[in-house]
Amino acid sequence: MLRFLLSQALSVVITMVVVLSLVFVAMRALPGDAAAILGGLDTTEAQVDALRRQLGLDQSVAVQFGVYWSGVVRGDLGRSIRERRPVAEVLRDRLPVTLALASFAFVLALAIGLGLGLLAGRHPGSPLDNATLGFTTIGLALPEFWFGFLLILIFAVQFGAFPVIGYPVAGDVGVRLWHLVLPAVTLAIPRAAQMARLARARLLEELGADYTRTARSKGLPARRVTRHVAANAFPGLLPLLALELGGLLTGTIVVEQVFGLPGLGLTLLGAIGARDYPVVQGVTILAVTIYIGVNWLADLLQIAADPRLRYE
Amino acid sequence: MTRVRLGVLLAVLIVLSATIGPTLVPFDPIRPNYTLRYAPPSPEHMLGTDNLGRDVLARSLAGGRVSLAIAGGATVLAVLLGLLTGLSAAGLRGAVDVVLTRAFDALLAFPGFLLVLLLVTILGGGVWQTVLALGVAGSPLYFRLVRAFTRSELQRDYVLAGEALGASRPRLLFRHALPNFVGALAVQAASTMATFLLVEASLSFLGLGVPLPTPSWGNVLQDARSFLTRQPWAAVGPGLVLASAALALQFLSDGFRDRLDHRV
Repeated sequence: MLRFLLSQALSVVITMVVVLSLVFVAMRALPGDAAAILGGLDTTEAQVDALRRQLGLDQSVAVQFGVYWSGVVRGDLGRSIRERRPVAEVLRDRLPVTLALASFAFVLALAIGLGLGLLAGRHPGSPLDNATLGFTTIGLALPEFWFGFLLILIFAVQFGAFPVIGYPVAGDVGVRLWHLVLPAVTLAIPRAAQMARLARARLLEELGADYTRTARSKGLPARRVTRHVAANAFPGLLPLLALELGGLLTGTIVVEQVFGLPGLGLTLLGAIGARDYPVVQGVTILAVTIYIGVNWLADLLQIAADPRLRYE
Repeated sequence: MTRVRLGVLLAVLIVLSATIGPTLVPFDPIRPNYTLRYAPPSPEHMLGTDNLGRDVLARSLAGGRVSLAIAGGATVLAVLLGLLTGLSAAGLRGAVDVVLTRAFDALLAFPGFLLVLLLVTILGGGVWQTVLALGVAGSPLYFRLVRAFTRSELQRDYVLAGEALGASRPRLLFRHALPNFVGALAVQAASTMATFLLVEASLSFLGLGVPLPTPSWGNVLQDARSFLTRQPWAAVGPGLVLASAALALQFLSDGFRDRLDHRV
């Protein structure tokens, strides 16, 4: 068991090293010369050269690679060109909005998705089951940002029940949540559709299994049967939940743009537009690290919840 | 069964609208007409006109061509990339397998949309760049599928028999193993194309995919965002078409998946 966990941790570390090296390569492949961009339009060649030296861009790629890694390991992500302050500070300012939105959306998706999926799986062929299937098919085909437009048109413009765009960073908690309702619903619907599909399929599979028939035929009360079924169906859902949760950190980009929310997504888009590559790199490193971390955690939880996986 | 029919019907309608549709609407999707800005929907302009006085229906139909071509091309690219690497990994094993698997694992370690975004940023905006970015980002799924399918097919007796008869490795892979899972790949590809339609629209909506003035469903909607309250139909119409296209592909994918399952 310990050996398995160690080998898994090693594999995560290798993936991280490969991925972060890829990020380094990707950032060097971006169009434009960082020193020239930082200098602006009115700089002379000599000034750009000085900047290049200051940024370490005149060093060999190998040296730059070393500097990059020592920064990543120490959590030093460099300085933002546009905002002229450490990238870590920029991220710290913008992360809370995205985290609030992502967790709000995830909880909604979880409630709707698992709720519908389990109810539908419990009564296959029922009107509720058909409605759920319809919901999941449409939910998966909805363009996220367009669904956001519709919500704005209906609930913000027509009924005036919610704010159209924006987010009061300094406002009180209730007001801020109010601004997050429509964006969170927009994000939650397609994810709920995914979860409902998988939950329904997992439940149907377990309800049709031999052990369920045995449990029923020997007269176990429905509650006990449910417990056995849940114990078998649930661990299989964890990887999808992790993918959705981990993906939300950057999955919010489009919705932040639609609703004008000053989170990590808008920061990333702004940085791409302004060629502020240290920030692009910082957001990428943060997003990838969290994504890999959450997925690994889900693997561990799945192993903890499903003893069969421990003997592979 | 009904889902397949519905999917085919919708898909035919959408392909028709993208191929012959633009010729049926007598308006230029790109040239502005400043005397007709923000015209409300009318029999002549069924979805009204936009901020530059262009017919929104004409732009949606022309945009469909671009969006469908990008999503279709990217899907083909993703499947081909996955097929070649997956067959190589499963067929050659050893170092090739390890390196390819690690490389695709690294791609999978990026949240999907972030990966597409980074690739498009590196490649720059444009139709071909978007196809390439989507194709690369979509390929790990097909690599994994093809590798797993091929490995399990290679365990079968008919492969052993083929080997005994002196069939070459490529022949076994392409002529014998591949036909057994090509249907499953096609089912998955329909679903991937639906996703790509939505992702391309998101990219163009963010201004990173197809550059203006070339219309695509995404940037027609990006335009519509700026006058959303003034001209809601300009946003609702193209979005509905985009959603129906994605829906059609999803129906096809689900429908054929069920058929494949029943046969097994």
